[in-house]
This record gives sequence, C-alpha cells and structure tokens, in this order.
Amino acid sequence: MFRSTAVKILAGAALLVIVLGVLRYKPWQRRDQPMEAARASLNVGFLPVTCHLTCPVTDFATRTSATTRFESQRFTDFPTIVESIKGGRLEATFMIAPLAMKLREQGVPVKILYLGHRDGSTIMVRSDLPAKDLRDLRGRVFALPSKYSNQNLVLRKLMEDQGVKPDEINFVEMPPPDMPGALASRAIDAYFVGEPHAAKAELDRSGRVLYHAKDIWPQFISCVLVVTENLIREQPEVVRDLVRGIAESGEWAESHRLDAAKVAAPYFRQDESVVRYVLTQPPDRVSYRMLEPTDAEMEQIHRMALKAGILERPIDMKDLIDRSFIPPHIRAAEISVN
Amino acid sequence: MNQLVSLQLKNVSRSFGEVDVLRRISLEISRGEFVAVVGPSGCGKTTLLNLLSGYDRPTSGTIESSGRRRMIYQQDGLFPWLTVNENIGLGLRQLHGEREREGAVTDLLRLIRLEGFERHYPHQLSGGMRQRVELARALAGESDILLMDEPFSALDYLTRMQMRRELARILAERPRTVVLVTHDIEEAAQLADRVVVLSERPAQIRDQLRIAAPRPRNLTDDEVVQAIHRILTVLGIEHEPERATEMERTL
Amino acid sequence: MKWKAIVLPIVVAAALLAVWAGVWATGAFHESAFPSPLAVARGFGEEMRSGRLLNDSITSLFRVVCGFLLAVGVGVPGGLWLGQVLAARLAFLPIINFFRNLSPLAWMPFAILWFGVGDAASIFLIFLSVFFPIVLSTMAAVANIPAVYFRVAEDYGLHGRERLTQVTLPAIMPQVITTLRVTAGLAWLVVVAAEMIAGRDGLGFAVMDSRNGLRTDLLVTAMIAIGLIGIVIDRVLVQLTKIPSVRWGYDR
Ligand SMILES: Nc1ncnc2c1ncn2[C@@H]1O[C@H](COP(=O)(O)OP(=O)(O)OP(=O)(O)O)[C@@H](O)[C@H]1O
Ligand SMILES: [Mg+2]
Repeated sequence: MFRSTAVKILAGAALLVIVLGVLRYKPWQRRDQPMEAARASLNVGFLPVTCHLTCPVTDFATRTSATTRFESQRFTDFPTIVESIKGGRLEATFMIAPLAMKLREQGVPVKILYLGHRDGSTIMVRSDLPAKDLRDLRGRVFALPSKYSNQNLVLRKLMEDQGVKPDEINFVEMPPPDMPGALASRAIDAYFVGEPHAAKAELDRSGRVLYHAKDIWPQFISCVLVVTENLIREQPEVVRDLVRGIAESGEWAESHRLDAAKVAAPYFRQDESVVRYVLTQPPDRVSYRMLEPTDAEMEQIHRMALKAGILERPIDMKDLIDRSFIPPHIRAAEISVN
Repeated sequence: MNQLVSLQLKNVSRSFGEVDVLRRISLEISRGEFVAVVGPSGCGKTTLLNLLSGYDRPTSGTIESSGRRRMIYQQDGLFPWLTVNENIGLGLRQLHGEREREGAVTDLLRLIRLEGFERHYPHQLSGGMRQRVELARALAGESDILLMDEPFSALDYLTRMQMRRELARILAERPRTVVLVTHDIEEAAQLADRVVVLSERPAQIRDQLRIAAPRPRNLTDDEVVQAIHRILTVLGIEHEPERATEMERTL
Repeated sequence: MKWKAIVLPIVVAAALLAVWAGVWATGAFHESAFPSPLAVARGFGEEMRSGRLLNDSITSLFRVVCGFLLAVGVGVPGGLWLGQVLAARLAFLPIINFFRNLSPLAWMPFAILWFGVGDAASIFLIFLSVFFPIVLSTMAAVANIPAVYFRVAEDYGLHGRERLTQVTLPAIMPQVITTLRVTAGLAWLVVVAAEMIAGRDGLGFAVMDSRNGLRTDLLVTAMIAIGLIGIVIDRVLVQLTKIPSVRWGYDR
C-alpha cells in the first residue's frame, strides 16, 4: 500500500545519500594517514597560469616537510577567489596586484607580502596581421583578462607613450583560456595575458608575439601574494614559512626550469609541453627572482590604478605592503622530482 | 424518535444567503424503506442529501437520524490510489482483526460479482464496475442508511438498466434504508417504495406516491408504467389519465 | 518492439559518431577546437584510469542528491501547508514567485561568500533551483484535489493525520512525481553550472578545468559523462511513476 512504498522510497533515498557520501569522502583513506592531521596545513589559492607557478611548486615541496603543509587550491577565476577571501574561507592567495588594492580600498584586511613572479605576460597579435606596434591596432578588437589586471594598466601606459587614444582600440574582457581560441577564429585581433595562454596561440601558429611584458615594463609585476591580516596576527610563523617557501621555490624553478614544468603541469592540469615552452622559450619570458616588491613600483601601479579609475580614492600603501616576512637569504628549495 | 424511523425532517429550510433552496420540508423515512427524490434540475436535491448526511446543516427546522449513514457520489468517489480491495476496506475500518475484514471484503466482492478484480485500481474498471465498488464500500461494515446522489447518471443506458437490477438484488440480500436522488423517473419508479416529487426552487414537496409492487420489477410492468405516468403528470409533463386509459382499453 | 527500443538509439548514436568523425576528418577545424572521437576515447580512458572521472561523477551526484532531497523535504511539506491554508498562500505566494523567477545562478556570488567553494555552495544552489518549483507544484496539486475525496474521507472517518497520509498525499503524488522528474533535470543542469564557478571538483569543474588546461578532449569526456548521468537520473525517477498506487495519474 501507499505507506509501505513511501517507507521504501525514503529508505532508498537515505541509502543513496549515505553511499554517495561514503564514496565521496572515502573515510577509509583518512585512517591510512594519521600523520596528515597532526601537521598544520594552509590552503593557498592560485589560478593555473605560470605567474602562479611557485604556488604549486611550494605545495609539492612541502608535501612531506616537517613544517606547515601548503596546499595549493586551484581556482578558475579571480572573482571566486575574492568571494572566498571575503567569506573567510581563504586566507592566502595569489592575485593580480590592482585587485589586491581594490580589496584594501573596500576595507577587506589583506596585505601584499611578496610577488609571485616578474614578467611572464605577453601581447599576442594574429599572425596574419602586419602590426608592428599598438598604432597598427587602431580600430581592432583587443582582449584583456580583467579591467583590474595589471595588463590593462600597462597597456594604457604604452598606448599613451605611442599616442594612441583609449577609445581607438576596442577592448573586450575575456577569460584567459578563451583567448587563444578567439584569436584563432579571428573573433579578436590581439590580446594581453599571463602565460601560458599566450604561448598556446604561438604553438598553434595562430598568433605571434608583439611584445613581451619585459619589453614594455622591465620586471613587470602582475600577481602578488596576498594574505589576510587575521592570518598574520594568529599564525605569523606559518606566514613566514609560506613566504620563505615561495621564495625558495622560485629560486629552484629559476634554475630547474624543465623540472618545474614537470612539477607544475599536473597541478595546472595542462599539457607539460606548453608549460615547458613558456618556461624556456626564451628562458627570461618569466622570472621568479627578485620578488620583493619595491615602494616605487607598487606606488606606480597604485597611481596607474587611480588614473584608470579602478581605485576611487588613494589607499595607504604602508597598510597594504608588509615586507617583514621576506627571508634575508634565499637558497633554492631542495626538491627532487620523481 | 420512533425505533422504526431512520430519518426524520421537521420543517427543514435551507437558504444560501438570499437564495431560498429548501422551504419547510417535512419527511419521515422508515427503516428499510427505499425513497426516491425527483425534481427539476437545480431545485435542491443535492442540498437535501447533504442535510441528510450531516455534511450540511439546515437554516431552520430539525433533522434526526438513527444509524450509520453512507453517501454514494455521482462518480469518482473511489480513491484512485487504492485497489478495489482497499477501497472497500475503507468501509470496514471499524472492524478489528485482519481475518474478519478479509472475509467481509470477499463477501462483498461476491455480492457485487467482482471476484478476481480485488487488486485492480478504479481506473482499470468500467464505469458500472466502479459504481458497484462504490456500492460495496457503502454497504460494508453494517451501515444503515445509503444516500445516493444520481449514482448511475454517468453510465450508458444499458449499463444503467443493469445497475438497477443489481441494486435491487443487492438490497434484497443486504436491506438498507435508501434515499436515492435522481433525474431519472423510470429509475425512481422501478426501484423505490416511495417517490418524493420536489417543486421548482424554493423546493417544497409537491407530491409523494407509494409504489407497492414487489421487487424485482421490470421497467414494463404495469405498476411501473403507471407510476412513471403519475410522476410525469405531477411534474406537469404528461396529461391527466382519462384518455390514456381509454386508449389502453381499446388496444 | 523491445529490440527496437535498444537498437534504434544505438543506430542514431553511431550515425552521430560518424558525422563527428567525418567533420573532424575534413580538417576544417583545428584539433584543439574540434577533438577527434579517438582523442576523446583516449581522454576517457585516461580519466577513468586516474579515477578522476568517477570521483567527479560521484561528487556531482552527491551534491545533486543532497540538494534535491533537501528541497523535496522542505518543499513538499511547505507546498502542503500553502495548499491548505489560504492565509499562508496569500502571504507567501508573491514572494515565492519572486524567488522562483531568479535564476539560481544569480545567487552564485553569495553562495561562495556564505558557504565557500565546495559541496555546501553547490547544494545551496541546487536547493534554490528545486525548492520553488516543488513548493508551487505541490501547492497547486493540493488546491486541485477534487472536493469529493475529502467528503469521502469524512464519511469514512479519516481525519487529521490519517487524512493527510491517506488522502492528501496520495492524491497529489502523480503531480509531485512529475515535478520531481522535471526538477531533477534542472538540478543536474544547475550543479554543472555551479561547479564550473564554485567548485574544486565535480563534473562542472572538470569542464572548466579542461578548458583552463586547454584540453578539449577532456572537455568532451566530461560532457559525455554529464549527458549519460542525466539520462540515468531520469530513468531512475521514471520508476516512481510505475508505482501501482500512482499509475492512475498517468493512465487517463
Ligand atoms: N454552497 C452553496 N452556496 C450557494 N448556493 C448553493 C450552494 N449549494 C447549492 N446552492 C444553490 O442551491 C440550489 C440547489 O442546488 P442543488 O445542487 O441542491 O441542486 P440539485 O437539485 O442537486 O440540482 P441538479 O439536479 O442539477 O444536481 C442551486 O440554485 C444552487 O445554486
Ligand atoms: Mg445535484
């Protein structure tokens, strides 16, 4: 009768939830690793771009370390990272520098402790266009990852230098992974983005390099390490470990580029050959040294952000930047691949 | 109230706001009596049944009843999510003991000649079969009074005729006090001990006639034909008998 | 009849596969824009061996089942209440209609702010997408129960709880089950969309991740898994319509 069928269905539903829950959380695996729980661990957010390479490398390096385990948490876009920070669920992450300033402006207590990389961004144009500089891109469609990105700011400076007015180029915002495809299908004519999304078009032969970031702005910064004040207050030692870990990972990646590609590719879930290409063609396409942010360059980004209208009012840069966790001597991390 | 009386209405009136539906109706129905109520559409027959079943209350006057009352609806009174067995079982809820209830259901199924359909759902039955199940459910559990609101009006003509026979046969086995509301004057004449004819709204009892012929009756039995004629005359549809009887004699 | 139901769909699927392979063979699209069936098959094998595909499927299913059951558990009683109490209906109907017309995906930023990235955010979004249709449909079903059933219930002494479990609930079951089928499909759509943004695993995340990883073959693999599981979910819910005591709602 109705009653007994209802009971059966309810029981079935409950069983389904339990079975799926068990399969999902695999409680039997937890018990295999009693050490795991004893060790402190910290999630660090990153996107699968080579600007954030030191994040997964640090994860890899601290897999078995005696100190804090830095678990890299892959995101797919910056808005989600921002929402996770505001929701108090993420306390350390890589992000584009102007976005960190914007957060500070909104009163979110975050600090920039370190840089993620230098250089590593590229302006690509369609390979069939004879463009030699931005003047030749007047009237063309140009894609940027976000208006909060440093790419946007730098590009504006370059346009100014070359005498191109802001409305002479049609800008569109586009998720970086879509850019190579859009260029190949001629939906856009050029783009400026962090690697490996530029190299992808180069490998496909649908685009060629117009400028490397370093040609426009030597030691270009796009992404920085951002940590909440809360974490700094409560676990300063963990923060110190994190900055040192990233510095040493960067130093290691700098001198072990092929190995770094091998380590990072699975974290990015990208083809190792693409990552390897970015790290080696040419080797100074992206750099992981000299990651201490200077007042001058941060102030410059700040000024440009204000000018571009990204920031509505100036922020106090002393509150934003904290260099006290950077280790005095940086040696390469000891990482053995395989 | 007298032991031999099942239902008693004294000066019962019912109005809905400004609309007077029933006006000062007095009626006494004896135990085991079969009363048919006929009248023009919209005169208040359903309203009367609702009062008799206790579902509705009169605006003035009193209604008394003795015994368990059961209503049979025009159609789709069966629960479609219950099997024939379970629907009939509803009428036996006061019986304790699984075996007792099963026995009662089996008896009723035999009575309505639907053995083998226990596990069928109403939508798998024909209209006539469904009305038989309704009947069985209403008969179940020693009910005393059956109130039927045009129970066969949704059936086709032949099925309707058969259902009349069935009802007479079943009532012979399980006697009940019956109030049957119907549009169908043949049905009233063929089945009832007494036919109550209501007037246009506000309904009053215009006439009552007794039909004493034994059951089962054929539609073409003299008593039945005469009763039909009398009812139609009361309703002003046929003429006074003189010429008709003359014609009959000449045939 | 029976063999047709099995063979014909296979023929159509094979034809589709042939068209796919044919278009690929023309070389009109770059491999990264239009992966070959073979590349997808290899990707499928890779994802199966690594266990990722299975894990992602389980994750998405877990979220859908939790969000869906939660919404049913709250929505059906809510709809029953609204269907029976006129004042409640008057009070809540406008606001329910307001929320029903909001795409659950508009809640995405709040889902992440409140619940972070992971199960809870997706479950919340699925709940929102399923809850309102279920409440409204249950409410309408209750309001449409023929009055004669309640008269019969009264006649045979079914009151209170018995009336609820033996009359009201079975009477609305066919319509509720139909709504369950529709909303389960909706939930499956929403979980994929939700995971694309607020996920670290699950099939939606697999889609997004293959995209970020510039791997269109894995993208198609995830799409195939999503489609197949969608079919399975509907097949399972169709079983509910075969329960004998609800057949009446579909057979006439
Ligand atoms: N709940 C109600 N509220 C207002 N008016 C009502 C109500 N119930 C019945 N009426 C009115 O009472 C009158 C008689 O209705 P009722 O249903 O009793 O007629 P009936 O004789 O059964 O008609 P039919 O032969 O068509 O079934 C109608 O005019 C109807 O409008
Ligand atoms: Mg009526």
